[in-house]
Amino acid sequence: MKCHRFIQTTNRRDMLRASACGFGQLALAALAGQGASAAIARRQIPHLPARAKRVIFLFMWGGPSHVDLFDPKPRLNVESGKPLLGKSVGSDRDQLGEVMGSPFRFAQHGDSGVWMSELFPHLSRHADRMCVLRSVHTEGAAHGEALLRLHTGQANLVRPSVGAWVSYGLGSENESLPAFITISPPRGHGGVQNYGNAFLPAVHQGTAIGSAEIPISQAVVSNLVNARLKPDLQQEQLKLIQSLNRRHLREAAIDQQIEGLIANYELAFRMQSTVPQIMDLNDESQGTLDLYGVGSETTDNFGRQCLLARRFAELGVRYIQVSTNYTWDHHQKVQEGHIAESAKVDRPIAGLLEDLARRGLLEDTLVLWGAEFGRTPMAENGDGRNHHPQAFTMWAAGGGVRGGLTYGSTDDFGYRPVENPVHMHDLHATLLHALGLDHERLTYRHAGRDFRLTNIYGDVVHAILA
Amino acid sequence: MRSQQLKLFWIWLVCILATLSTSHAADVDTAEGIAYFEKHIRPLLANRCYKCHSVRTKKHEGGLLLDSRAGWAVGGDNGPAVMPGDVDASLLIQAVRYTDPDLQMPPDKALPQDAVARLEQWVRMRAPDPRGDSTVERARRDDPSDPIAGREHWAFRPLTEQPPAIALPDWPRSTIDTFIVAQLDAAKLQPAPDADRRVLIRRVYVQLIGLPPTPQQVATFLDDGRPDAYERLVDQLLNSPHFGERWGRHWLDLARYADSNGLDENFLFREAWRYRNWVIDAVNADLPFDQFVLEQIAGDLLPHDSIEQRDGQRTAAGFLVVGPKVLLGNDPKERRMDVADEQIDTIGRAILGQTLGCARCHDHKFDPIPTADYYALAGIFTSTEVMERRYMLGQQRVMERLVGLGPDGDETDGAYEKYWRDRPKLQERQKHAQSALDLLKKDNAKALEALAKEHADAIADGAADASQPKEKRIASQKTLLAELNAAVAKPPGIPARAMIPNDADAPADESIRVAGQFDHLGEQVPRGFLRVLSDVTAEIPERQSGRVELGRWLTDVDGGAGQLAARVLANRVWHHLIGRGIVRTVDNFGRTGEAPSHPELLDYLARELIDSGWSIKNLVREIVLSRTFAMSSRHDDAGHSLDPENRLLWRAHRRRLDPETLRDSMLSAGGELDLKPMQSSVWYLGDQATAVGDNKNRRRTDFPNRSVYLPVIRNDLPELFDVFDFADPHTSTGMRPQTMVATQGLFILNDASVMAAAEATARRLLAGEITGEQESKVDRMFEVVLNARATEEDRNELLAFISDFKNRLTSQGDSDADLRAWSMACHALFASSRFQILE
Repeated sequence: MKCHRFIQTTNRRDMLRASACGFGQLALAALAGQGASAAIARRQIPHLPARAKRVIFLFMWGGPSHVDLFDPKPRLNVESGKPLLGKSVGSDRDQLGEVMGSPFRFAQHGDSGVWMSELFPHLSRHADRMCVLRSVHTEGAAHGEALLRLHTGQANLVRPSVGAWVSYGLGSENESLPAFITISPPRGHGGVQNYGNAFLPAVHQGTAIGSAEIPISQAVVSNLVNARLKPDLQQEQLKLIQSLNRRHLREAAIDQQIEGLIANYELAFRMQSTVPQIMDLNDESQGTLDLYGVGSETTDNFGRQCLLARRFAELGVRYIQVSTNYTWDHHQKVQEGHIAESAKVDRPIAGLLEDLARRGLLEDTLVLWGAEFGRTPMAENGDGRNHHPQAFTMWAAGGGVRGGLTYGSTDDFGYRPVENPVHMHDLHATLLHALGLDHERLTYRHAGRDFRLTNIYGDVVHAILA
Repeated sequence: MRSQQLKLFWIWLVCILATLSTSHAADVDTAEGIAYFEKHIRPLLANRCYKCHSVRTKKHEGGLLLDSRAGWAVGGDNGPAVMPGDVDASLLIQAVRYTDPDLQMPPDKALPQDAVARLEQWVRMRAPDPRGDSTVERARRDDPSDPIAGREHWAFRPLTEQPPAIALPDWPRSTIDTFIVAQLDAAKLQPAPDADRRVLIRRVYVQLIGLPPTPQQVATFLDDGRPDAYERLVDQLLNSPHFGERWGRHWLDLARYADSNGLDENFLFREAWRYRNWVIDAVNADLPFDQFVLEQIAGDLLPHDSIEQRDGQRTAAGFLVVGPKVLLGNDPKERRMDVADEQIDTIGRAILGQTLGCARCHDHKFDPIPTADYYALAGIFTSTEVMERRYMLGQQRVMERLVGLGPDGDETDGAYEKYWRDRPKLQERQKHAQSALDLLKKDNAKALEALAKEHADAIADGAADASQPKEKRIASQKTLLAELNAAVAKPPGIPARAMIPNDADAPADESIRVAGQFDHLGEQVPRGFLRVLSDVTAEIPERQSGRVELGRWLTDVDGGAGQLAARVLANRVWHHLIGRGIVRTVDNFGRTGEAPSHPELLDYLARELIDSGWSIKNLVREIVLSRTFAMSSRHDDAGHSLDPENRLLWRAHRRRLDPETLRDSMLSAGGELDLKPMQSSVWYLGDQATAVGDNKNRRRTDFPNRSVYLPVIRNDLPELFDVFDFADPHTSTGMRPQTMVATQGLFILNDASVMAAAEATARRLLAGEITGEQESKVDRMFEVVLNARATEEDRNELLAFISDFKNRLTSQGDSDADLRAWSMACHALFASSRFQILE
């Protein structure tokens, strides 16, 4: 069930008070269920002491198999080929199919002994930085629904995405950059809705760089470059525009819209020079490029994405998502598929953690890794695995989480969580909490009600926070 | 005697207990206490406890109910669950603390610490709890969802007729003005002077047809000295086919119109455009709003005199089908409830200005809509089918319901569907026919015989006949194969179809879904309407959904929702023309919405609307002919300090151009706008089997037609729409957001389409009829782009810019410096606030 629409915390008087304090436009906009007029998200003070200032979410589109990566299940191999029915906590349905063992070797890593399969040799060196959540669960057996739940908490209604909530809650740390950037986002399975602002003011919408199906080296931010005018000429043109606008404003005496438009052109023009500078990796040392695997065929693309994420993190962007292409959906040949896909991301992710740590950024950057769901312990098409939202693994590092911790567990087959289940809503609540945001207080008035990311759900998983 | 005494004793006891319990309630249930309960405790109990401890779920584990005050006060097998004020003595607290191994609740997972703390705090506060006895539905005075008490809310009261006070008698031109000026006068404010006629003509053109006037149209109007020149202009615009393109789009926002499904699986709605064009045509024809609503809700069920009428009505009913739906992954029963919810929510907002969807999971927290009323409506929509299983391009899938149009629509659609259903079999046959031919050629009689046994239909009669000569047999088989090849290669053309609903085979009343959970059935409620609006019971004929009755009820002024619907619609028309609604929360006329700034005026407009036979054009006409509409937007210190938000309308609101007008105006300035209506703008995307999100041939925006015809693909809007606050087509939108974000600036400064339009405009200026000096070209540019006269300052600045630009470009070796310099100047005007903001 999903109560889409309720929770009232702010009263009318508060709204009116805000209005009297000079945010008339904002208050009106909120009352009327529309966005405010501001070019950049105002910086906000968090509700709680913050452990992290920003988030980098590494999204593995398609759904990696938890039982092949982070959640070793020896019984899968023992019972490989036999029906799961009647064996597992969750096996109360008629046709579950046959168990399929994992082809990969697992080992414990670091002082903490975090389990990982052989597919992440680089990442495993960071085991003591990782907090592995083995009991994540969600709804949505199809990608579209599950992606929307992962990114917005809901599927049947359009709701703001996590990054938009973070932008709304914390605002921007950088006057020339949006607070929410999504690198190579998926176009399908909800597409822009997965980084949309829904009813939140549009300034909180994720700014997309490229899309999942094109290499990041070819990605551009839309309309960042004028194809006809060189910058010096464009600056002349901008001068004319602003002069016309200021004359209009003078005639109007007071007008927030005209003022807003003037400020907006200034910001847009600034972004034209700052964003390409950020996107250009030429000023990175060879050592750094190597760390991320930039320049090596397999890892180049994801390496560039991760490096870009670090650059945005450095500049104060609050929420950065990095997405793989739709390549983790291994209904067949899970072995080959997982070998190939892990190789693309392992070194870049390890490089990102290392680089963030070296620069002192890891302590206040929450890195989160995961997908819309995991994969079944049962075989599909002989050598593949199907979608599995009932239980899967995500992990976090940095930004106030307890490194080296393995939290929650699944049954002998990885079918259902048995200990400390973490629902997607709980994960969202915890993520906000780490940023100093109380998920019950981070609300927005829309259509007469106050909405939150976690709807009426969500428990903060305090145990994973340092 | 004794029994008499006993009886008196009992009466006394009951009275004492009653007093006790009332005093408890009065003492504890302060507003603060209730608020605490509502905010922290009720959701917690509902979410984590009701599943096993509530009447509605028909479960009371351990005899305990937690869905009413009496439930925890009496308690279960172990006695009262809560002792108000005594945290440690309350079993509920002991259980949630998880310290006693024999008493741990909820059993699946402990509550988080803060939730436990809140329950403790609640008990400490002596357990304020406004919930009545859950076994009896009692209408409580303080229950916001009580539909009878709720009739007192302003929006549900009957329309009043209150003549305005007379103030500034010389100012008003119409009744509307008298209402406005009365309030201004009471606040000691003056209405702004009339807007300049150039400003007015631009305003009325944009508001009525979504396009600015051409310089010729401006000149004609300015030269028209007749006293009714403006009135004539207004009538001309009302009769323009472009009126429907502008005002139809307003409705399409509310109807969450789109050319694709959106949400999880973004399949194309190939036929949605017919609904879009039906709306445009209906608005142009000024179809009375009551009929307009009825056809959209029940057009497929209405009688008709002709195929055209039938098809029109069917197309109208696409309104119900065009909503977004989660297509994969969820339970069909859940989907049915979700689809009904989406329809109820859309109708509630668009027609009634109500947030009906709130009552899906619980009685509405603020408005007089009990859950029972929600499910009374839900029964109508769950008795309606909008999805069907179809074969499309070789796949079978659940998709929007389609029906063929035209006299033989059923046959063509049937044939098309059949082709795709049978195609796999056809391909199979083709394969075997080919094998048979090969076997014939190889004289493999034995294998051929085996094949013929299995797949007799893959062998031509002439080929099966072993008595015939081989050559003849081969020839017959070749003929059959050729026929099969042709059939496979040439599917029938996609027929003309419309998206329509139909009534389910067995329409039925719906059960309340406890806490909104589709598989948690509560009490069944008869299909019907909102009780806050009328006592009318729905008289639904046997084997019908009740949509016809609902469609009539929504605009029934006497027994239904008509007076509210008229208020909502009148307010929408006002909002679009004036810039802000009389009720600014145009989609929310509930208690959490805003109250009207001019309630009497709103009622007057609603009454006018009804009395005119629900003519939208009539209402638009009346408003644009008012002096209020014609005010200037000039600043005034007194007005600004007293009423900075301009609620009293001491001046006209300035408004951003919406993306459609922005684009159409730019194209029009360059003479490149094609004003002809358009049919489908997504035909090239093929039929339904492709999810648009993955489609490499994504939607196009390069049509020179008006923007209302551009493809509206959910989650993949044309960039201009996306950036400039087009309505999110997933939900009904009465008021688009108005934002100011950097992407807008970037779009205007750098997008190729803007620069192309600027260049086209410059070309016209340079090549056109203007032979005069540079000065007159600049003047002309201002006329074309801004409908304004350039001031001396403007002219000089533009000329200096153009000359400077030309020199710089020439020195850089640009051979076409003149055109480029003028293009950049036009571009600057497009970017200017005077173009983007309507005075």
